[in-house]
Amino acid sequence: MAETARLELRGVCKSFGALRVTDDVSLTVGAGELHALIGPNGAGKTTLIAQISGELQPDAGDILVDGQPVTRMPAHRRAAAGLARSFQISQVFPEFDVEDNVAMAVQAHSPGGLNMWRDARRDPRLRAPAREAIARVGLGERGGVRVSELAHGEKRQLELAMALALDTSILLLDEPMAGMSAEESRRMAGLLADLKRHYAILLVEHDMDIVFALADRITVLVYGRVIFTGTPDAVRASPEVRSAYLGGH
Amino acid sequence: MNRKLWLNLLGLAVFVLIPAIARAADEPFLINLFTRFAIYAIAAVSLDLVLGYGAMVSFGHAAFFGLGGYVIGVVAFHTADGSGILGWQGTGQALVLWPLAVATCALAGLLIGFLSLRTSGVQFIMITLAFGQMFYFILVGLMYYGGDDGLAIETRNTLPGIDLRNPVNFYYLCVALLLAWILLCRRIVGSRFGMALRSLKQNRRRSVALGLAPLRYQLTAFTVSAAGTGLAGVLWANYALFVSPDMTSWQKSGELMAMVILGGMGSIFGPVVGASVFIGLEQVLTGWTEHWMLVMGPVLVLVVLFGRRGLYGLLVPERLHG
Repeated sequence: MAETARLELRGVCKSFGALRVTDDVSLTVGAGELHALIGPNGAGKTTLIAQISGELQPDAGDILVDGQPVTRMPAHRRAAAGLARSFQISQVFPEFDVEDNVAMAVQAHSPGGLNMWRDARRDPRLRAPAREAIARVGLGERGGVRVSELAHGEKRQLELAMALALDTSILLLDEPMAGMSAEESRRMAGLLADLKRHYAILLVEHDMDIVFALADRITVLVYGRVIFTGTPDAVRASPEVRSAYLGGH
Repeated sequence: MNRKLWLNLLGLAVFVLIPAIARAADEPFLINLFTRFAIYAIAAVSLDLVLGYGAMVSFGHAAFFGLGGYVIGVVAFHTADGSGILGWQGTGQALVLWPLAVATCALAGLLIGFLSLRTSGVQFIMITLAFGQMFYFILVGLMYYGGDDGLAIETRNTLPGIDLRNPVNFYYLCVALLLAWILLCRRIVGSRFGMALRSLKQNRRRSVALGLAPLRYQLTAFTVSAAGTGLAGVLWANYALFVSPDMTSWQKSGELMAMVILGGMGSIFGPVVGASVFIGLEQVLTGWTEHWMLVMGPVLVLVVLFGRRGLYGLLVPERLHG
């Protein structure tokens, strides 16, 4: 594990009424590490991501980015602190085209947000980084297409391009391959393999083949509790993970 | 040149040529009608900034329309009787008064927006409605300024070099201000600020995750919109030489919304069409019956049902829109 964790969770707890959705979760993601978060449906993976990105407040515990607590920081400032998130269900701007969408991500972390005069669509400081991120995820030809006309898999790629364009170093990827065809998933997996050296990535994913192929470490979440953290091999070998989750996998 | 540009130029040509047409047809009342088009178009374009681009359904925008008008009315009142306001003897200079009135409306917009934007959705509609009604009842209660009956204004404000008492001059001033306001708003919605506002409208959750603080953008838009609506109120007070609490009534807020929706939300040019058609229909229909809303109502329903982007959307293909 890296010396200083880029992202660290310490004893994070969250309840909705009597239901404990996050129960004393601690984990770390180091620089250049791809850390996968797996668990059955309802294990609280997305809820945990929402707490890290600031959409939900944990009841207890701390979330640290580069050793600095961000637990009480409002969601819109966490991107500046280094956290970029992609959503399980594509959250994009349907009336904008692909390049507009990614340019919004660039704009969000650059100064001059209240500039009311200069034409944003002709501003190379927004457009050049946006095009770069679009090309990186393989959407290079689709920059001018309205997002409402994109195929599902392309929206997932766009999600990732937006996260990349935020220019952050920690990616929270919530099921980036959800609903993708086999071919699209394979391409996305290749992309993640490229990205993993450059980012600290917390990946929620159901496809175990991809998780075991890509992850440096895996945390297994069941009913909001961490039941195991370790390398793919250790997870595969662990009897408790087998009985709780993996079954015959 | 595409269709949208042609259409806009055609609209501009009509506005510019109206005084000549009115003279040729010996229908001087056309100038008055088009002056009203221009004034309400400024208010409707302003409302479009928050309604169409920011998805903030403000049901209290008439408050700014009335406030702008009352600044002109009250100053005129004190200037005419020589009493002055807080030691200031008053003035009739448009270059002093109009910026003052617009700034007052911007400040009111900042305050009302700051309080209202704590909420969203239906609550936002209700709280802006409440602020509008508050203005209305304050004005009704101000017996000193005529209460319910409103305030008559003796003469139009003055501009150096232009005699605004001449209806044609006043008309062209209104059209020039409308044009300037449209161009400014076009720049605003295409700027970084405008893109941020539109992204918040389309997907607030995503925008926040990207790092945009909603209040900053929405409140700025609300303030700019209030200032523009106030300018329309200023022009109206000068046009009608009369201000009354009706300028701030909820019906007036509703009319402004109807103009924006009729013309097409989120298009800047649409509200100009909407304001013109709304007031034009009102003019024609009230000649037949005082229950002119019986006709206007179904027209609105049909436009909303069959052209979700309003009349302007029916005229301009979607790709060129916005």
